[in-house]
Amino acid sequence: MTSPVIITSPQLQVRTFLLPKRAHTAVECEDAIGINELHHRFALADGATEAFDARNWAQRLALNWVQTRTTLSLPGFSEWLAAEGRSLHDSWNELKLPWYSEEKARGGSFAAFVGVELEPAFDGWQWRAIILGDSCLFHCRQHTLLKKLPLTKSADFGSNPVLAASHPSVQATTFEHVVVDGGVMKPGDQLLLLTDGVAAWYLLLDETGDFETRSVFARVLRDEDNAALTQLFESERSTGRLKNDDIAIISLEV
Amino acid sequence: MYSAQITRANPTCIVLLLDQSGSMSDPFSGDASNKKSDFVAEVVNHTLHDLVIRCTKTEEVRNYYYISIIGYGRSVGPAFSGPLSSRGMVPISEVADFPLQVKNSYKRVSDGAGSWVEIPVRFPVWIHPTAEGKTPMCEALSLVKSTLETWLAAHPRGFPPTVLHLTDGESSDGDPDYVGRQIMSLKTDDGNVLLFNCHISAQHRQKIEYPGEDISLPDGFARTLFQISSRLPQSFLAAAAQLGVQALDGSRGFVFNGDPSSIVQFYEIGTSLTGMTPYRWMDDRTETA
Repeated sequence: MTSPVIITSPQLQVRTFLLPKRAHTAVECEDAIGINELHHRFALADGATEAFDARNWAQRLALNWVQTRTTLSLPGFSEWLAAEGRSLHDSWNELKLPWYSEEKARGGSFAAFVGVELEPAFDGWQWRAIILGDSCLFHCRQHTLLKKLPLTKSADFGSNPVLAASHPSVQATTFEHVVVDGGVMKPGDQLLLLTDGVAAWYLLLDETGDFETRSVFARVLRDEDNAALTQLFESERSTGRLKNDDIAIISLEV
Repeated sequence: MYSAQITRANPTCIVLLLDQSGSMSDPFSGDASNKKSDFVAEVVNHTLHDLVIRCTKTEEVRNYYYISIIGYGRSVGPAFSGPLSSRGMVPISEVADFPLQVKNSYKRVSDGAGSWVEIPVRFPVWIHPTAEGKTPMCEALSLVKSTLETWLAAHPRGFPPTVLHLTDGESSDGDPDYVGRQIMSLKTDDGNVLLFNCHISAQHRQKIEYPGEDISLPDGFARTLFQISSRLPQSFLAAAAQLGVQALDGSRGFVFNGDPSSIVQFYEIGTSLTGMTPYRWMDDRTETA
């Protein structure tokens, strides 16, 4: 008779950070973060600035996805997204809107989305992610980026990414762009979930070998020193290396 | 240059300069029912609709743009009809709230499950077609210049103003070259004012779109308009490429002998600003219900 295998995963450190565009208030921030520590589900969504009700759509995606047990597969994701889109559009039916809001609502809303689920594994955590749009997931081991999803270069970030749409007639055309991937986090590893502006900046640091700034970023993020993190990003925005965009970060560290 | 972020704190302005002379009541060649002035008014109304929608954040319209419409023909001055008439420069939120009227239509769209459904759509109207008098282009350009000087004094650091000038004929009050160059010399920290010109023709003449040189132009008037047309910045070139329009580095924002499709593309490219995807409003055209 063999003894049952007991998996004891190293502790997971979860840190989050949210910062609106310069000269914008927190309630205007269109990035959203969802956390479910019980089921180890984490999500980011980035509402498209030009879309209708983008903040609400991003919040629904991030907050609701982590509360579901939807499988991390394309069929599961597409079914869940369709239901969320219907729910969002139903909520608009109750509003009395001016002509321009009606017209804007006709196109639906859009957001980038990245969701990740962790499961205990031997001496680490197994992760599985689902991504649509230009919000990113990076698997970091010391100074190496083991995985960069879905974009791999700072130059890849354009102004017209394919995003998670709320409108059913648009959704079908976007699903071929969904990325599903996974891996195993070992002790010392970090998963970074980043919305597009800060993701492009992080890749730029990697491409230019600016490990000093990356170390500062890692330290203040680990210390949960939000004032220092805000100062760092304001400084990087001033140099033009970081686009003036909303910033959302989830850091999962073993 | 031409990379300043357009924000409420740092907005830009767009001037639509319209030839409303008597000849604009002539039809486009081959279609007696399609007057130039009618078509231009329709395109301008759709362009304003697009700009409003871009700035709409749920139930609020953010003032990223300020709009001026100047007409010239029997007189020279602001060309908004209705509540905004006589207004020289209007924040986009007021453009949104004060159309002359809002027409209701229906549009057939896919329901995403293989069928089609009809949905209501709104077509606001801000200007009526106008075609009277001569072509006082120089006086109109002078008004554009003074309007922009006032704007630039208050907004020295934003994305530079864009002037989209549409005409069907030669100036009746002199050579527009001097005042055109004066407009092009105005600037913000982010670049010179962009002056784009679209000449339209009722005849079936060979159209010339976004040339880089003036050697193929047929006459002195065409060369004058070419000389007072700004080069297209990179973001505008990208918008042109998305529309399938041939425009290269060095191309001017200039069309000569344009037809209806030239007008539509001219406004789509001219309002693309910082690389926004052109809104293909022609796809939305339906009969009014």
